[in-house]
Formats: sequence, structure tokens, C-alpha cells
Amino acid sequence: MSEKKTVKRQSRSTKHPARQYERFHWTQRVEHILLLTSFSLLGITGLPQKFSTTAWAQAMVHFFGGIETTRLIHHICAIVLMFLAIYHILDIGYKIFVRRTRLSMLPGLSDVKDAFQAFLYNLGLTKKRPQMGRYTFEEKAEYWALIWGTVIMGITGFMMWNPITTARIFPGEIIPASKAAHGGEALLAVMAIIVWHMYGVHLKRFNKAMFTGKQTEEEMLHEHPLELADIKAGIAERPVDLRTLRRRQTIYFPVAGVLAIAMLFGIYGFIGSEKTAITTVPPISNPVPIYVPQTPTPIPTPITTAVPSSMLTWEASIGAMFQAKCAMCHNVSLATNGLSFTSYADALRGGSNGPVVVPGEADGSKVVLLQSAGGHPGQFSLEELAVVKKWIAAGALEK
Amino acid sequence: MRKLLSSHRLTFVILIFGFGLMVFALGGLVIPVGASPASDPVQNPILAQGELPDNAACLFCHNKPEMSRSLPSGETLPLTIDSSHFAESAHEGVACSECHNNIVTFPHPDLQIQTLRDFSLQMYTVCQKCHEEQYNKTLDSVHMRAVAAGNTNAAICTDCHNPHTQPVITDQNGSLLPAARLHIPETCARCHSAIYDTYKQSVHGAALTQESNIDVPTCIDCHGVHNIADPTTNAFRLQLPQVCARCHTDPAIMDKYGISTQVLNTYVADFHGTTVTLFEKTTPDQATNKPVCFDCHGVHDIKRVDDPVYGLQMKENLLLACQRCHPDANSNFPDAWMSHYIPSPTNFPIVYYVNLFYKIFIPAVIGSMVIFVISDIVRRLIERRKGVKHV
Repeated sequence: MSEKKTVKRQSRSTKHPARQYERFHWTQRVEHILLLTSFSLLGITGLPQKFSTTAWAQAMVHFFGGIETTRLIHHICAIVLMFLAIYHILDIGYKIFVRRTRLSMLPGLSDVKDAFQAFLYNLGLTKKRPQMGRYTFEEKAEYWALIWGTVIMGITGFMMWNPITTARIFPGEIIPASKAAHGGEALLAVMAIIVWHMYGVHLKRFNKAMFTGKQTEEEMLHEHPLELADIKAGIAERPVDLRTLRRRQTIYFPVAGVLAIAMLFGIYGFIGSEKTAITTVPPISNPVPIYVPQTPTPIPTPITTAVPSSMLTWEASIGAMFQAKCAMCHNVSLATNGLSFTSYADALRGGSNGPVVVPGEADGSKVVLLQSAGGHPGQFSLEELAVVKKWIAAGALEK
Repeated sequence: MRKLLSSHRLTFVILIFGFGLMVFALGGLVIPVGASPASDPVQNPILAQGELPDNAACLFCHNKPEMSRSLPSGETLPLTIDSSHFAESAHEGVACSECHNNIVTFPHPDLQIQTLRDFSLQMYTVCQKCHEEQYNKTLDSVHMRAVAAGNTNAAICTDCHNPHTQPVITDQNGSLLPAARLHIPETCARCHSAIYDTYKQSVHGAALTQESNIDVPTCIDCHGVHNIADPTTNAFRLQLPQVCARCHTDPAIMDKYGISTQVLNTYVADFHGTTVTLFEKTTPDQATNKPVCFDCHGVHDIKRVDDPVYGLQMKENLLLACQRCHPDANSNFPDAWMSHYIPSPTNFPIVYYVNLFYKIFIPAVIGSMVIFVISDIVRRLIERRKGVKHV
């Protein structure tokens, strides 16, 4: 995006103060600062997302305050980078159409030759180093890699940011493919910065031109001899007379303005065009009530199965219930209160105080009255009592 | 007046004595036909002061069928212990008085309870005497929190483990017997019957209840046992993928059914899974709306992915699942999720070839750069040794 400067070596034996050449305008230097900040933050917030299962990635995400904050930082830096890209496009446009400066960053066959020659020189296969102009092949490689990378990251980033919109146009598979490309490109970019940029302008020697904006004549001679020759010959810049400049500006500025507005709308669409997902926890697809006890209270009692009305006879079920609950005392031998429940006839006959089961009169039967009051030594459960009442109401049948 | 009173007293004493005799005679009558040969018919159940009763003494009465007591609530408290069931239970050999240590005298002290539930709630704390580990675990459970908050319906020890009939369900090492697994959902169903009915229809529940397949999870495999956590918390949600992964990444189980063990990897590699994993690692209580396994596959109604009606392999079903969170999603959208596939030339080929491109492109570019940089370093070292001040 911004032009960079690599100087191979600086002579330490400068005897006289060297002449300084402006290499980078202050706007380019600001551009570079913004770029390096956003790029670094994008890298350190993005790679932990790519390698999220590793401990280092988790530690970094934790450091940033969690994945949501990490993503927020990532998104903000992406927006900064997008603004930077718009500025850069407009700036390049101005240089091309208004100033008509040389397109010194355009790559050409000479750059391939230079690279090849530099490599041969390093291997000792040639004595001559390549003579390069304003931008060396190393700088051009990095610049165009950055352009390529930003375009790829922008497109794939858009698709991940706006998957619904993307899926309206492309097959859904493009979204995971975008993620794969975004991650691959990120890894490539970060590694290239570490290997190429770090070595080229920091390790070999710290090239301060991007921060000071200046280079000495010696550095220029060593690094950009062809540009230095052009400067000395007075043909590096093609001066534009003021009238022509104004004329071009009156055409370019409105065009650039429209273009800028269009691109800003593009950013707005990028950030705010779609509501991808609901913000609440997804609803459970098929909710069921949690507490639905099989018995009234979850006490470990044997589960009483309801007796079907067809079984409401002494022989089918009722007799057994009386046998179980009552016949311990009210049996033939003990016959407490003259009452026995060991047979249907006995039960209907009643005790010494009269009948206890009045067929058809459930609420008038003594057995129901007594059992409803509770506290009898042999006591029906509520379910059993209900069954007995039903049986009596239905006529207290034997069979 | 005084004479009258003392004569009343005398009558009372005679009556009590008579009643005692009758009880004794009754006992003698009933015992020979009683179900338990274990109880000693000639032993007097009435205890000497300070002596703890043995089980035979308790069962002398409590082995009689259909002994019960009605409670003020109208409920009936069953008092019969089936000694044959008890003899087969895990507690065989445990003295009644170990747990019922407040009713070791006869006549028994009166029960201070209104309802059946009161009785259970009074009793369950005695379990900690022997089962301290399990008891302490329950203190962290969603059930005990509910009890502490005043919900008396929430499950306590005895709701799941009937102390008089609970069979042994673990081996010597304390691990659950495979056969016991088959009945776990029935236990939970006592209170969660609607969930149980749903579970029975699910791929797991159907296999367990219809085929007696013990590879499938029962309730406790996901919810835990004793320290059952609240499944509605953020933490539970974030941990869920790991819960499912316990079985679904185990080839020993999955290979039998031809199910991929890559389901966790592929989930974690995706945007949703990455987020959930990072939340779980960094902020385990974080709320997240990113889907976890059950948001797509169902909670208790998990179906086979190739289920003819509900299966997620059917794109329409997957789209419905997507639309629960992405209401604007169209029919292309479900392919944004790779359905647990690892990209290959046949499945998600674009993703596969993008990955392949970078697998070649990154080493090629970075490798070239490294080679050039090394050549440059070597050249510089050589020239420095030669003393060449190269400009």
C-alpha cells in the first residue's frame, strides 16, 4: 500500500554530512504507521482464532478479554484498514492522473532480472549487484503482496462478516472456503512480514527512512542508484505547471469525491448491511416440561396402577384390596366388631353394628365414611379409596 | 372423688395390660403364616431400655403386609418392609436402627410430620452417615439447591434409591454395572416423565429401551449423577460439546455404528465451535448464542442424522435448524456449515482446494524468501570477513 524502503547497507564512515533526499512524504509515513498498527493487531487477534485449540491462542484470547473482544478489535482494525485502502486508492489516483508521476511501483521484467541477479550475486556467481531505481524488487514484491493480500482478506472477510448476503449470491460452501483462504492468507502475510520485511528493513540494518522520511546520498547510491542518477539529471520528477495542475484537479477532485462516497458506502455495507443471527440464546426446538412426576409426590412407594372400570368387581380387584388392608383384623377367626372381609358375602353382611357396604350408596357406606376420616389401623390409600367408592357406587358387584 | 379417680386409673391399667396380651396373642397367631421365616417368632419385640433393636425385632411387626399409617395430609405412610426384598437389597445386613435411629424404642415416638414428603425430607440426611461422598456431591446438585430454596418436590436420595429395595448397582471398583444402566432413565422418569417419553423416541433412548443397548447414554452420562448440574446455565451450555465428545470421539464405540469420530474437531474448527471452545476455556460462565450440539441435534429428542423425517442430513431440516438463529438464511446457507465433514475432493471441494492451494503456496513463497534471505546473510558474512565495505 505505502511505499517502503530497503537499504542494503549504510557506510559508517561518513566523513562529511551527507546530502539528504526526501524518500517518503509525511502522509505516506502516517499511512505506514496506521498500516503497521492495524496489520499487527489484525494478525495477533486473527491467528489465535485460526489456532483456537492451542494453549497460546487461548492465552492470547484471554489477554484480549475474551473472544468477543478479540473479534471486536479484529473488526475495528479491519475497518481502519479499509479506510486506509480507500485513502491509498485516491492518493494513487491523484499521483497518476493529476501529478502524472512515474509509475515507479509497477513491476516489470527488469525486477525478475534484478532478483535473479541479486541471488546469483549472493551465491557468488556474479560480481555485479543489480542496479535498481526508486523501488527495488524486494520492495515491489512486498507492496504487491500486500495489495494482493488486502484484496483477498477484504473479499473473504466480507463473506464471513455477511454470510447471509453471500449465500444469496454464491453457494454456501464459499463461506467456509473464505475462512480457509482468510486463514491461509493471514498465515502467509504474517510469515512474509516476519521473514521478508523484518529481515529486509530491521535485521539487515534498521532502515529509518519510513519514519524520518529521509535518506542520505550514500544510502541512495547504494540502494537506488538509478533513481539517484535520475534526480541528479533532473528527470526524476516531471514538474507540472500550475495551470495544468489546477485543470486536472478540477476534473479529478469531483471524480475522486464520488468514488470516495461510493467506497465509503461499500464500507458501510460491509459493516452494517446484514443482521446475521439473533442475539439471544437459540430457542430449544422441542421443549418439554421438566417436572412431570409419575406419582403425586416422588416418594419411593409402589406405583398403584389405576383399576379399569371393567375390573370393578369383588372378584377381579376389590376383594384383594380388602384382603390386603382389612382382613388382618376383620377375618373369619378374629372378626373384629363382628366384621369380616374375607368373602363377598361377609363384606356385604356387615358387622355387629350393621352393614358397612351399601350398594349404590358410596358416601353412605360406613366403610367409606370411616376410611375417609383416616386414622383407621388398616387404611386404604386415597387411590384405593376412590376405587372402592366407584365399586360401591356401581352397585358393589361380586362378579 | 379421689376414689373414683383411682378406680378409673385401675381400669385403665387393666385395659392396657389386656391390650398388650391381645397384641402378643395376635402376633403368635399371625407369625406362623407370615412371609418371613427370618424373624424369630418367639422373641418379644418389646425392648429393654437402652438396647438397640435388631432387625428381627423390627420386622416382627413391620414384616406384616399392608401396615400403614394415615397422615394428617390424608396420605398413607406405608410401614411394611418386605423382608425378602430387603434381604436382596444393597442394605441387607444394615440394622434398621442405623437409619431409623429416632425410633428405637417401643412404643415408637410419634411422628412429627404432616405429609409423606415430610417423612422423606426428615429421613434422607441419614444417608450421609455411610454415603458421605455421594451425599456431599448432591449438595452441589440442582436438586439440592431446589430443596434449599424450598422446593420440596426436588429429588432427594430416597427418591432415586428406595433404601429398602435398592439393589447393588456397582461392582467392587465402584463403577456402575452395565445392566444397571438400562434402568437409570426409569428412575429419572419418576419425576421427569415427559423428558423420558421424549428420550425414548430419540436415537439413544430407543436403543436403550428397545434394544437394551448400553453403548448409548442414559440420563446420568450427560447430566452426571449425584452432583447433577443445572442444565440451563451458561457453563453447562459451554461444556456440552465435551460431554457429547466423550462418546462421539471414542472409536471403540463409534466404529460399531459407522459414526465419525471427527465431530468435535470439525465443530471446533468452525466459527461456532471455535467461539464456544474459547468461551469455555477463557470465560466458562459466558453467555453465548453460538449453537452447541443440542441446538441442532435436539436436547432429549436427538434423532439419527439420516432419520427419514427429522434427520439433519435432509437439507430442509438443516435449513430449519439454521433459521432458528439465522432467520434470513436461504437454502444456500446450510452449506456454510460443513456438516462435520472434513473437506475432500468430494465433500466441500472448494474448501479442500483452497486449503490445498495454501498448503503449497505458503511453503513455496516463504521457502523462496527464506532461501534468498539466507543467501543474503551468507554473502554479508563473507564480505564482512573480507573487509569489503560494500556500498
